[in-house]
Amino acid sequence: MLLFCCSRKKPREGERERMEGIPEDKAEFDEAEIEYVSYGGEHHLPLIMNLVDQELSEPYSIFTYRYFVYLWPQLSFLAFHKGKCVGTVVCKMGEHRNTFRGYIAMLVVIKPYRGRRIATELVTRSIRMMMESGCEEVTLEVTNKGALALYGRLGFIRAKRLFHYYLNGVDAFRLKLLFPPPPPCQEL
Amino acid sequence: MADNAVSEGASMDGHPLKLASIPATDSTVWTDASPLLQAACTGLRDGELIHGDNFNLFAAMSALEIMDPKMDSGIVRTYYSIDEAIEHGAAPIPISLDSTIDVQCTIDIMDHLLACEAAWHKGHSLAQTVFSCIYLLRLDRTAPHALLHSYCRIIRATCKAVVSVASNARTHEEEDLFTMTYGLPLNGDGDDKCLSILNAVEDTISRQLRACKAASLKRRLPEDLEPLQSNPNLEEGFCKALLCRLCFRKHFFHILACMKRPQGRGLESARKHISSCMTELESIQKSAYFIRSCFGESCEGDIDDKTTASGREPIGFDAMLNSRLSALMPPRTIKILSWKKAVEYFVKLLHDLDVICSYSLDPHLESLLRFVVQFQKSQPDLVARSHLQLLLVQDGKLYGRDPLFSVITKAAALLEATKNHDIQKNESILQLGMLVMNLLKILCTNAAWQRRKLGKFLQDWHVIYVQLELALRNEFGEVSSRSSNDENVCMKIFQHILLWVEEQTYWITFRFLILGFELELYSTSEYCMVYWYLYAVLIKLAEKTQLKMAVSYDTAKRKGKKKKDSPKDLARESRIPPAVTFLQCCIFLAEGLTMMLAALRNEISLFQSPGPFNTEQEKFAQHFELLQRACIPDHFSYPSYKESTTHARFSTLAMYNYFKDAQRIAKEVKSSFSNDPERLAELQKLEHVAEHNSAAQDLICRLGALDPSLKVSFELSHHPFFATVVAKRS
Repeated sequence: MLLFCCSRKKPREGERERMEGIPEDKAEFDEAEIEYVSYGGEHHLPLIMNLVDQELSEPYSIFTYRYFVYLWPQLSFLAFHKGKCVGTVVCKMGEHRNTFRGYIAMLVVIKPYRGRRIATELVTRSIRMMMESGCEEVTLEVTNKGALALYGRLGFIRAKRLFHYYLNGVDAFRLKLLFPPPPPCQEL
Repeated sequence: MADNAVSEGASMDGHPLKLASIPATDSTVWTDASPLLQAACTGLRDGELIHGDNFNLFAAMSALEIMDPKMDSGIVRTYYSIDEAIEHGAAPIPISLDSTIDVQCTIDIMDHLLACEAAWHKGHSLAQTVFSCIYLLRLDRTAPHALLHSYCRIIRATCKAVVSVASNARTHEEEDLFTMTYGLPLNGDGDDKCLSILNAVEDTISRQLRACKAASLKRRLPEDLEPLQSNPNLEEGFCKALLCRLCFRKHFFHILACMKRPQGRGLESARKHISSCMTELESIQKSAYFIRSCFGESCEGDIDDKTTASGREPIGFDAMLNSRLSALMPPRTIKILSWKKAVEYFVKLLHDLDVICSYSLDPHLESLLRFVVQFQKSQPDLVARSHLQLLLVQDGKLYGRDPLFSVITKAAALLEATKNHDIQKNESILQLGMLVMNLLKILCTNAAWQRRKLGKFLQDWHVIYVQLELALRNEFGEVSSRSSNDENVCMKIFQHILLWVEEQTYWITFRFLILGFELELYSTSEYCMVYWYLYAVLIKLAEKTQLKMAVSYDTAKRKGKKKKDSPKDLARESRIPPAVTFLQCCIFLAEGLTMMLAALRNEISLFQSPGPFNTEQEKFAQHFELLQRACIPDHFSYPSYKESTTHARFSTLAMYNYFKDAQRIAKEVKSSFSNDPERLAELQKLEHVAEHNSAAQDLICRLGALDPSLKVSFELSHHPFFATVVAKRS
């Protein structure tokens, strides 16, 4: 995630762990058992915060989460399995250089639940909402191969390589998804 | 009063407040804000935020949680100031009263500083690396310790020189942390004498080394010298370990000074110092065995991640002291390079600098561009790239020597005398000179930034072409027999330059596209469109290159004395220049890959990736947006891409094997580049790829549609941007 108000150079190291690797203790479940819920209010905030804090080493204050979920609650989704929150996606959208653009800020699925398309489903719901809201494109930054594959399947291209984007010297890719232009209105 | 910042008083819950170690000043005073914060907490409900004109949710993201060790840079520190650290003995002078331990610790400090310096070069801030050294932060107090003092002084002078080079080269974006020196004591009185100070210390240690060697041979030297340290068995080893470290610094400083000399005048001297530096680095590496063993420590054991040759922690460093001067807030703990990796870094840096210093300062732009592209293949770091950029562009001239108009006329294959023509004062020609200068600067940056900049740069080249074309039409209109000689000459110059601008634009486009492979920006499902675009650009590049060469030959012939063409001249005229043949080989490879990928997609849906939100057309638009905007090439669009590839089938592939043609051309043109080892190596790779792909195509055409177990992949294993097709049964 790009913290706009902090230095451009991102010190975070833990993000790579989010999407990579085969979970050591895999949870047994049917994909139909996963319930996807749109952000519903303050009661969801601690769930999102705990998930992200657990999986990432980047310290986000509560205000960071509030910025996203207060201004764009319709773009954040949570995944539950039997009442337990196992994944979340947090996004925003807005005008950027004459383009109305969506931005995927955080995407987390806990380790035992990875590899079962939960992340794909979460992101797909957000992107669909962005498209319906009039976004022309969606963007985010990633480093790891798992994330590149996930977003590649959804139609993102690697628009830029960001040299030494993270403090540990790791490069990042800026991914972008361009929506097709809306069909012209047809006169009856 | 200022020292006791907060007198003991009661806090809200009755416990006495701790004395703060950050003193109040004349304009600040400490006060207990606990009651205010408590009232604010009571007044706000969950989910509410204090809101103001200049404080909103976005601004609130900058909030730091006090006492969170990840966010609060003040919480995780040993000392709050340099003086406090020194007072508590963090950087003692002398380091030890035992002279042997003192020397050992000095070597550790030198090694750790080298590791810090390498970490800084690699992208961390100076504040958290080299200037984490307390001795460096208070250099004057090291004066009684000649060895440490001379080393720290030359390090400081070296850092200043390197910052200056990088600043002048104007590093960009991700690399601009490098030049941040705010608040650091980088300028020191007397640093201009750092070499003579170092030489004096080097001289003393050299004499100490001679003395201990003489003593071992039971000879007496005329002078009575105090030994370096107290253990005679270790004297020689320590002297040698110190000497190579001091000499490395001396020669490195000389390299920077020589390379700074204008117009490349110091390059030959720099090469000598580079060679000496390499020798000293080898000695430094060899000294590690002695240093590890001198106290009976085992020489095995894992010291790979340690920042000193001895494997011990150095005295006198605290990275958090300067945390407020770090560019990043909150500052993070960074990992200093290991000593081993630091030495490897400097070996590579010296090698890269040597390549720069060996360059012949060729006035031909085409050769220079090939040199820079070749140099970038070794992925040189910022320091080397900054030096290259400053060598190439100085005072608005190439190498500070050749006016840009003269460079352009040479590149456009105009006659030598053209460089003095008044046309150089034309506004568009002046702008073209600036573009050439900017192109050279861009080509010296890191690949990621370079590609972004080249893409945007294409618009500038397109605009200049349009301007020059307009200028040509407006000023000269139709050439008639009544036009003066000078008008004819001007027109010819414009025409040559226009042709060259087109060629150069396609070269930049080609570079933009192939950098995408190096930066891993294309997924395999996008290779088809990329190779198609590459094919289109290469055709144009070959066309313009051949035209330029033909026009230049024609011009040279008309200026020559021969009135009739000899058979040899005629043969030369009709022969395709080797540079163009080289491009033809690439064209065949690009075409072959495009068609194979298209056939695989059309026949067995391989590498098709229909996403739920967009189509291939959107991906095409995104990848080639900048090129399309600059009309490069003209009339090449998504519909023409679809038209070219929709009908590709295994049966059409079987009819014509582009890879066989590429292979044949690569073999034939090799002899033309017998004096160019880089081109020969490139041709070897192209031939390799062509041969593999030809065989793979034959297999796929025979079995592709029939054998579902056939797996096809495209790997950049033999060439950086032409993929090798791998077809095997799973």
